Amino acid sequence: MSRAEQALADLEATRRGFTAERVRFWIICAVVLAFYAVSWDLAGVDLHKLATGLPKLGHWLASAWPPKLDEVPLFALRIAETVAMAAIGTTLATLLAIPMAIVASRNITPLPGLYFPARWFLNALRGIDSFVFALLFVAAVGLGPFAGVLGIALHTWGSAAKLFADHVENANLGPFEAVRTTGAGRFTAIAYALVPDILPVMLSTTLFWWEFNIRASTVLGVVGAGGIGQELKNSMDLLDFPRLFTIIAMILIVVTLLDQLSSWLRKRLIRP
Amino acid sequence: MIDAVGLTKAFNGRAAIEEVSFAVREGEFVAVLGPSGAGKTTLFRCMTGLAVPDRGTVRIGDDDIAALRGRARRRVAVVFQQFNLVSRLSAFENVLAGRLGHVPAWRGWLRRFERADRLLALECLDRVGLLGQAMQRADTLSGGQQQRVAIARAMAQRPSLIVADEPVASLDPAAGAGVLELLQGIARADRVGVVCSLHQVQLARAYADRIVGLSRGRVVIDAPVQRFDQPAFERLYGATASLSTH
Repeated sequence: MSRAEQALADLEATRRGFTAERVRFWIICAVVLAFYAVSWDLAGVDLHKLATGLPKLGHWLASAWPPKLDEVPLFALRIAETVAMAAIGTTLATLLAIPMAIVASRNITPLPGLYFPARWFLNALRGIDSFVFALLFVAAVGLGPFAGVLGIALHTWGSAAKLFADHVENANLGPFEAVRTTGAGRFTAIAYALVPDILPVMLSTTLFWWEFNIRASTVLGVVGAGGIGQELKNSMDLLDFPRLFTIIAMILIVVTLLDQLSSWLRKRLIRP
Repeated sequence: MIDAVGLTKAFNGRAAIEEVSFAVREGEFVAVLGPSGAGKTTLFRCMTGLAVPDRGTVRIGDDDIAALRGRARRRVAVVFQQFNLVSRLSAFENVLAGRLGHVPAWRGWLRRFERADRLLALECLDRVGLLGQAMQRADTLSGGQQQRVAIARAMAQRPSLIVADEPVASLDPAAGAGVLELLQGIARADRVGVVCSLHQVQLARAYADRIVGLSRGRVVIDAPVQRFDQPAFERLYGATASLSTH
């Protein structure tokens, strides 16, 4: 018997029979299976309803033609409102995120005591969706796009700051330390050595959030926080399908165009 | 027998290699030397079918390497500078990857191999001296050990040609010498052609049978290792360099 044959025999011997590893494997399989069974039940998945509902959807789609074009200027205004909400909210969030990101980066924070509180705060902001924030702000500042702006800003603040902080924590600190040893202060060193390194990534993430927020804020109008969502909900409530599909088509066109623009800009930012 | 004839490949109008021709016989260890930017990488990409030359062919027996598709590609095995093992798989499973061009696809999806394949993989690991580490995860091995696993993977492929692209550039001198000794042994024992690019002339002189020198995309030397002398060295690296210090 060669050494390889011996090794293969040993290998197979350890894999035969009731090993603890095998028992554990099957227990895990059973737990995962049970998890999906319970989830299926809780989620109320009903294929029968889907089968009867789909033709209804097809019927609506058929009745949506021809589209209603007389209200296109109003829709365009509402979509512009949505894009503006996303832009202001995202920019506000980015500006707020920069100082938070510095505090929430373990490697450069000037206040190590605030590291964990800052991370918890950001996680809380991130954990609450802009939709939920908008719901609260509609109650506080009234109906309209401003509530949507605040909702977007708060949620994006948490997400963007966490992402920036993760970038800083993974950044190569060598240049930062080199600049520190020249006698530069902490913030000078951050501005001189870290910002040029991570600025393209930060700008590109900001564009990404803007893009994302445009898509997300199309529904903010449903809770009265401005934008195209309000018209969407009205059409659905009135079962006015030509109007509904006109709006959806317009959203699709604008979102696609802005996605293209944003990804083109992002490529240009990252390249040099 | 592997025959490269008139290989030419340009990028953006600039020729990376021009009219490169040479042959590798069964069981022969050919070292490819040349300064950085001489076109070694382009040549190797053409020899492994990763790039298609603009003109010229690499023939393996009667077949054009650029035309090899799917499982036929197993005839050329590649050893990379950065090893390119699947880091989360064991050394054993990495070597079994060399069998993927021989077995049905589902065996690869499930990582279930026949006894003969598993035995062959362990034999290959034994030949590179790593039988004891067979079940260790690839990323827990040292650089030299990882390159040995990569060589075992290439052997398990049962290739006609092994192409090694700077296989020792990331290794310390002792580990590097071990790797080249292995490649030399495989060439002799299995009658496999080995083409290996190197940066250290003394390693090429110690292990290779023949040296092909590449400079500015052209073959400037193609000689048995004994005839690689100071004039040849100067033709390759320039007149200011000296063979004795290498």
